[in-house]
Amino acid sequence: MFRPIKVFFLSALSLLIGMKVTIKNLFSPPVTLDYPNKKQPMKKNFRGMVDLKPPACVICYQCIKICPTAALFLSHKTVEQDAKKKNEITKFTFNAELCCFCGLCEEVCPTDAIYLNQMYEVSVFSHDDLLSIDLMDPKKYKHLDDRTVNQPEPNPQ
Amino acid sequence: MPGMGLLLLKGMAVLGFISTSAMFLIWWERKVSALIQNRMGPMATGWHGSLQSVADSIKLLLKENIVPAGADKLIWWLAPFFVVFPSVSAFVTIPFSEKLVPRDLNVGILFVTSITSVCVLGIFMAGWGSNNKYSLLGGMRSAAQIISYEVPLLLSIVLVVMQTGTLSMVEIVRAQAHGWFLLRPHLALAFVIYLISATAEVNRVPFDIPEAESELGAGYHTEYSGMKFAMFFVAEYTNLFIISAVAATLFLGGWQGPLLPPVVWFLLKAYGIIFLLMWVRWTLPRVRMDQMMAFAWKVLTPVSLANLLLSGWLMLR
Repeated sequence: MFRPIKVFFLSALSLLIGMKVTIKNLFSPPVTLDYPNKKQPMKKNFRGMVDLKPPACVICYQCIKICPTAALFLSHKTVEQDAKKKNEITKFTFNAELCCFCGLCEEVCPTDAIYLNQMYEVSVFSHDDLLSIDLMDPKKYKHLDDRTVNQPEPNPQ
Repeated sequence: MPGMGLLLLKGMAVLGFISTSAMFLIWWERKVSALIQNRMGPMATGWHGSLQSVADSIKLLLKENIVPAGADKLIWWLAPFFVVFPSVSAFVTIPFSEKLVPRDLNVGILFVTSITSVCVLGIFMAGWGSNNKYSLLGGMRSAAQIISYEVPLLLSIVLVVMQTGTLSMVEIVRAQAHGWFLLRPHLALAFVIYLISATAEVNRVPFDIPEAESELGAGYHTEYSGMKFAMFFVAEYTNLFIISAVAATLFLGGWQGPLLPPVVWFLLKAYGIIFLLMWVRWTLPRVRMDQMMAFAWKVLTPVSLANLLLSGWLMLR
């Protein structure tokens, strides 16, 4: 006899408790973002596209050796400047189709010249745009720039 | 006929109100559900997605009308009209204010409850005509549920009629000039029973097993597309408004209130109850079919009968 009454009151109580929870959530700020208009800021250690600060590069070929998928290509030539020999990069390209974004090149670089930036919206219309990205070109990710926030400042050294 | 123009104007005003109200309610429901689930909801069209329903209705107008193979064509075509017609007709007696009543019938509340019962017919026709197992199941469940919950619903309305001695909606509101019926204990219980059974009447969570998306694929309106689907949707949200408006009229003093104009008070009360129903909807899970029927026949009906008996005895004493 008492059980149905007990069940009735307990369910009414649980309804009130549940409604308290939902009204709290109604007035709490949303956890999702209005995505195309607002972007999620990326963490410092996010592994985006491979990027290069050309003046810092010492052409040690460490990144080329460590790259597990051979996504990087580097060639250089020696030039005479003021009676001193100096190495100069002729071509430094990055194949984003091969890259597995492991970050080993960033880890191994002695001068922190090569690094992974924070871009995450990297889709393009053609494969050709990803096959050989010229890392020496400062405008290489220009077409993706307006789509990504927190692009690190170009850091001349 | 001289009164024809005015009648036409009234009808157009009601239809305009129904469509705007339904569109607003759909947007509001999406917004409330999103905020309760810590999402943002529609944001793209208009201010905070406020024009989303307009865009959706234009989309639905342009969509193709698909008739399923093997459908009972006549019944299939008629069903949406049978669902929309009662909910539009019920507006005849709803008093937005003392003057703003399409027509103050002396059987007002009886008219509303009887005309909204026709809705079951349309829902069952949609379920049968679609030639789809799930639609038929949804339609049968819906019919069973609506007919069962009509008993406690009417028993709680009878209490108000006993209190006032009239069936006219305007008279019922006038009888509450010195205090809402909600403030009297036996009518407060009737209000709770009314709200629960009205939630079941309009097939809303926690009583939405006829339209359960995961079990039945939206039940009786699975096979409908385009404008016919939109008609089911409009009818659903119009019914939601009607039950809230009736609750506001019977228990919350209708248009009466200080300072603000009567229409504003009435709409505030009606939309307040709608918000309460939305709040409950996004709090509770769905109940099982047998639990739902047991709740109607074993809990709500005896409680409302006992309430009726006790308050009738108290009134006569």
